[in-house]
Amino acid sequence: MRLDELAGRLGARVLTPEVDLARPVEGVYAGDRMSDLLNHAGATTLVVTNLATPQLMRAATLMDASGICLLNGVVPEPALLAAASAGGTAVVVSPFGMFETCGRLYQCLSGGRRATPQ
Amino acid sequence: MSNMAMYRIAGGDFERAGAASSGLKDMLKKVGVEPAALRRAMIAAYEAETNVVIHAHRGEMRVTLGDGVLDVEVVDEGPGIPDIELAMKEGYSTAPPPARELGFGAGMGLPNIKRNSDRFQIHSTVGQGTRLRFTICFAPQAAAGRREGSLRVVAGQCTGCLRCLSVCPTEALRIRGARLAARKAEPQVLEHLCIECGACIAACAAGALAPRGVEEAFEGLAGAPLVVPAAFLVQFGPRVSAAAALAALARLGFDTVAVTAGWEQALRDAVLALAREQGCRWPVLSPACPAVVSLVEMRFPSLIGHLALFVSPVEAALRSAAGRGAAVVAGCPAQCSVLGASRERPRALLAPRRLALAVARAAAEGGEVSHRGPGQAPPDRSEVGGLLRVTGLRRVMAVLEKAENGLLADVPALELWACDEACFGSPLLGEGPAVARWRWERCGGTAGVTSRERDVAAGAIPREKPFAARRGLRLDDDMARAIAKLAELDRLVRELPGRNCGLCGAPSCRALAEDIVLGRAERSACLLGGWRDGDVPPPRRGEEVPR
Repeated sequence: MRLDELAGRLGARVLTPEVDLARPVEGVYAGDRMSDLLNHAGATTLVVTNLATPQLMRAATLMDASGICLLNGVVPEPALLAAASAGGTAVVVSPFGMFETCGRLYQCLSGGRRATPQ
Repeated sequence: MSNMAMYRIAGGDFERAGAASSGLKDMLKKVGVEPAALRRAMIAAYEAETNVVIHAHRGEMRVTLGDGVLDVEVVDEGPGIPDIELAMKEGYSTAPPPARELGFGAGMGLPNIKRNSDRFQIHSTVGQGTRLRFTICFAPQAAAGRREGSLRVVAGQCTGCLRCLSVCPTEALRIRGARLAARKAEPQVLEHLCIECGACIAACAAGALAPRGVEEAFEGLAGAPLVVPAAFLVQFGPRVSAAAALAALARLGFDTVAVTAGWEQALRDAVLALAREQGCRWPVLSPACPAVVSLVEMRFPSLIGHLALFVSPVEAALRSAAGRGAAVVAGCPAQCSVLGASRERPRALLAPRRLALAVARAAAEGGEVSHRGPGQAPPDRSEVGGLLRVTGLRRVMAVLEKAENGLLADVPALELWACDEACFGSPLLGEGPAVARWRWERCGGTAGVTSRERDVAAGAIPREKPFAARRGLRLDDDMARAIAKLAELDRLVRELPGRNCGLCGAPSCRALAEDIVLGRAERSACLLGGWRDGDVPPPRRGEEVPR
C-alpha cells in the first residue's frame, strides 16, 4: 500500500508535504531500539516510534525506510522535520498511541505481503 | 582502482551520530553498489559509528573502496573493551542511561556488525581505545556470473559419447543434440554450475573440451620466470628425474623456475598455524585447490567461513615471481581462472603438452638422463600436525558433506584437491597420478629441487578479497517463486523415467527436470517416455532437440 493512502486510512497527519508520499509500504517496524530498527527496516518499511529524535530520523534515512510514523499527535520541532525532508524521509504523525496505531496499520496491511511483528 | 575517505566521529555528540555513515552512503550510492550490500554496509557502519559516539572520546572512520570490496576501519580513543568475547554477546551492553533513552545500547552493536560483514576484526586496549575493521563484498552473484569460465568447447569435435556427463561432479554439462549423429552434438557448459575441475577434459577422448586462454607456443617466453606444478617435472618416464627436467627447462631458456610444491608447503604450514590459533573453528579449509574453493562457494556456502584467507599456491607462486612477467604452466581450467583474475597477470598460460615434448627432447639430447638408485623417501609432511588431505572430487564432496554437518570438528585442517593425488592428477598431464606422485617423492620432493628456486622465495600470501557464495543451484532469487519451482521440479522428477540415460543431453533425470523448470529444456526432450495422457509426445528420432 502506498504511504499516502495508508496515512489517509490511519487518519495520520503528514508533516513533510514536500517529500514523495507515493512510496510503497509492505511492513512496519514498531519500536525504539536502534539496532533492531537497522535489522528490520528496509525500503518498504514504515517505522513507527515514540522517539522523535534526530538519531532516529538519521537511522531511518540510512536504511531508506518508506517513512516514519510518530505517535499521540506529538509534532516534533521544525528543525527535525527539515532534516528528515532533506534526507527524503517522509514523516507522519498518528493521533493514536503505539498500540492502537499498530493495530490499525495491521488491519490495513494484513492483506499485503507481510507485517513485521515487534 | 580504489577510493579512500575519512570521517571524524566526536564522542558523546549524539546530535551528529550517523553523519559519517551518511557520508559513506552517498559515496556508495555514487558507485552504484547494489541495494543488499548497501544495506549491510549501512547497518555495520552505523553501529560502529554509534559505538564511538556512545563510548569513546573521539574516533575516525577510514573507508577504502576497492574493486568490489568495501573496507572500513573505525579507530577510537576511549576506554577500550576489557572483555571482547563478552561484548560480542547479543544483549550485553555497557551503554550509559542517556544513550539508552535515545534507543541505543541494545547490546546488538558488535554482533550486528559481524553478521552484516564478510570479514570482521576487533582489537582493543583498555585505557587506550578500540580498532574495529570490517569488509563487505559487493555483488558476489554478479561476480560469479561476470566473466566467461575457463572451460572451452572445441567446435565440431564432440562424438556424443556422453562420458563427460557422467564424470561432471556438479552436473554442469549438457549435450545439445545428444541423439544426433556423431560430430553434430555439442557440449554446453552451464557456467554457474561449473567449478572448472577439468574432469570432463580428462574424460573426453575426442578433445571437445579444453581450457580457455592457454597457449601452446613457449618459444617467445625464454628468459621469463616459469611457474610449474611439481607434477610437470615428473612427466618424462623413469629415466628423466625432476632435476633433469629442470635442467632441460634451463636449456630451453627458463632459468628461473618456481615449482608450486614449495608454495603448497608454505600454505600448508600457514593453514596449520591458523588451526592452532585459539578460538579457531575446526576444520580450517585450505584454499589450495581453486576447483575445491569454487565447489565450496557454490555447494557448501555454510563452510565459506572455514576457508583460510590465503591465495592458492599457484597464484602465490606467480606473485612471488611477479614483476618479471612470469609464465605459468596451467594444470586445470580452475587455475586458469584464478590466474586470469589475479592481481598479477601471468605473461602467458601455457598448455603443458608441447612444452613437455620439448623438455623430453632436450633432456634426451643433453644426456641429462639419470638412473637414480633407490633414494630415501622424504617424510610426507602433509600428514603432520592434524592436517587431513583428501584427493579426488567424489571423496572431497563426501568429506565436505561431513564437515557441513559438523561431523569433522576433531579435524584441525583439511586440504582437499579435486584431482586424484592433488595436481599430480591434472587433466592436462599424461602420467598417471599415483605414478607421478611416487616419482616426485622418490626424487626428494620439494627438497630435491629447491636449489633452482633460489631467486623466488616461497610463502603463503593472504587474500585481499574474502570468499563469497556463488549463485549455484538456487532456482530463483525470489524465495516464494523458488519454492513454487521446487514443487514443480519434484513433480517432474516423479514423472520422468528415472533411468538417467543422458539421451536428452542432461546428466540425470533430475537435471533435466531442473532444466525444464528453469526454461532451459522442453519436456519433450525425454526419449523414454513416462508420459501421461495429454502430454506432448517425444519427438521422432533425428529431430533437433529443443534447447
